[in-house]
Amino acid sequence: MRADHIRNYKSVHTWTGIVSGMALFIAFYAGALTVFKEPLRHWSTPPAAVVQSVPMDEVQPLIAKTLATTPATGRGAVLKLEGDRAIPRLEWQVRDAGADDHDESASRHYSAMLAADGSVQVSEQRPSRLVEFIDVLHRVVGLPVDSDSNRWIMGVIAGLYFVALVSGLVVLLPTLVKDFFALRVGRNLKRMWLDAHNVVGIVSLPFHIVMALSSVVFAYHDQIYGLQDKVVHQGQWAQAFGRPQGKPAEAPARDPADMLMPSRLVQLAREAAPGFEPSGLQYTQVTGPRPMVRVWGKNPEAISPRAMGGFAAFDPYSGKLLSADYLSGAQSTPNLFISSFFALHMASFGGTAVLWLYFLLGLAGAWLFYSGNLLWVETRRKAQRKGSDMPTQRRDTVVMAAATVGVCIGCVAGISLTLAAAKWLPGRVDDMAAWHVGIYYAVFFACIAWAFARGAGRAAVSLLWLAVACTLAIPVSSLLGWLLPGSGSWMDGALLGVDLTALAGALALAWMARATARRVRNGSKDSVWSVPPARAEAGHRASPQA
Amino acid sequence: MSDASAEPAATRRRKPPPIRTDWVSKTLAGLLLGFSLSIIASGLLMTRLGDMPLPVSGQLAMWLVPPVWLGVLSLVYFFGSGLRAWAWLLGANAVALGVWWLLQQGSAA
Repeated sequence: MRADHIRNYKSVHTWTGIVSGMALFIAFYAGALTVFKEPLRHWSTPPAAVVQSVPMDEVQPLIAKTLATTPATGRGAVLKLEGDRAIPRLEWQVRDAGADDHDESASRHYSAMLAADGSVQVSEQRPSRLVEFIDVLHRVVGLPVDSDSNRWIMGVIAGLYFVALVSGLVVLLPTLVKDFFALRVGRNLKRMWLDAHNVVGIVSLPFHIVMALSSVVFAYHDQIYGLQDKVVHQGQWAQAFGRPQGKPAEAPARDPADMLMPSRLVQLAREAAPGFEPSGLQYTQVTGPRPMVRVWGKNPEAISPRAMGGFAAFDPYSGKLLSADYLSGAQSTPNLFISSFFALHMASFGGTAVLWLYFLLGLAGAWLFYSGNLLWVETRRKAQRKGSDMPTQRRDTVVMAAATVGVCIGCVAGISLTLAAAKWLPGRVDDMAAWHVGIYYAVFFACIAWAFARGAGRAAVSLLWLAVACTLAIPVSSLLGWLLPGSGSWMDGALLGVDLTALAGALALAWMARATARRVRNGSKDSVWSVPPARAEAGHRASPQA
Repeated sequence: MSDASAEPAATRRRKPPPIRTDWVSKTLAGLLLGFSLSIIASGLLMTRLGDMPLPVSGQLAMWLVPPVWLGVLSLVYFFGSGLRAWAWLLGANAVALGVWWLLQQGSAA
């Protein structure tokens, strides 16, 4: 390959990387946690909000009465299953008019339970939406709302990310054989970071290509479908998805009490796809002309088309199978092919081992972008010549170093603290969802402000210790809930994995804090990371952790 | 990363014309002509998927767009100049469009 190609692609890699790096750090860190959305949801649900399950057919009167009397359930009411039992509660959402399709925060949540006298009790829920918020941070690279405009921004970032991947590969290819697995640990710190950046990038390249391309699809699929409908499908696409509007008069009057029992629906789904384990029933339009129940679930032997699994769609009255297009284990080859793109992004295949693999790949990805930014800064360092004065570093490297430290460590600390807060907010505040968002952004922006005020070197150490404290607050909150039952916090023995993972994370951050402190004190002085000892002490006194 | 000394001696003696960076025109060529090429490619794919129900084949056609589009965008900087990038990609678009038109005539007949 010609040297000027390499040089040009180095420029491409530098600029696409530096523009998208920090947004991608947030997307990957929050995404790694989103892999464990369900355990985190259980971990953050107060014991008082847990409803005990009952044999699933006992819930049929609640389903029939609620669906018959509450038109708002028409868009989809969900019953959660646990093996052969069900949670005796029907849940649905009502979207604000004009809200974005993907913006779940604009929805109002309702649930119905049966009172002792057999009447339906509908109440509005105020869920904490904690795991959904972390998912939104993941989906729109750290922005607060999953809206059309924010998805546009995410799509641009994902496009830059793909170009950065290809250009990085082009730059590395000619020397790949020589550099691969060559982790030159030694005095040349920048060489070591570059080797590590290359190894992590190459090893996880397939994962990153899948992530970049699927993210662009998630950002722009509506626009691409719209354009293809005009120039490729000649308007047939919209027709295929526009529901034929049956006139209400034609529809037979349906009584939800005539619907099949949940156990029968579950049995039908299991027969349609051996190995499929149902986890929920979603009823839509059961009093309308196109009644449907989706039996959601997972099939450990197959891939799942969506993060929450796959589903079989039945007519809830006749039990006729309406669609197996999304049924894990019973998909046609083309549908399986399409579903695999989703499954590869969302780790919805292969069980727990794959979840941990994606968690680690996500964290490695976050580190890849962090290290990329550090390399950008180091490449522009002005070295001190022997005997001459200390050079003044370029302003853009000083700014980029501070921004990288503030954004990345601020994201880690903010997510940790808002997770820990899940154990203290229930019962104390009214709008938990707003508190979780507020806590995250307060920590995030405070960290950025601190990094700019103190400079990257000094701020990095204190911010890392802040991240240690925030992450440690997760297991400590659980522990306090166990030691002091009156505190309002609680500990769930089945979810100790969350607390132990946070503890391991806190220890890893503490190791980083100590290593960074050593670098700041003893590293070469002609660096944005360096703080001369006298000033370092002053910095330590001013920082809250010292 | 790779310095000039790593290049074979023959290449150095021939002295190929230097590659113009032309950042703006190459990027625009990749963005615009890469996108049009990806839409035409999805049209080509649709002519091969006639037996499949549209809700399935349409999804496959949509998924084809980002890899083609971003593939072109990320490889466009290999062209010798912005002008060459526009010329080659316009040509590729025209050829793909012609093949698509022929295939549509074939399937209509």
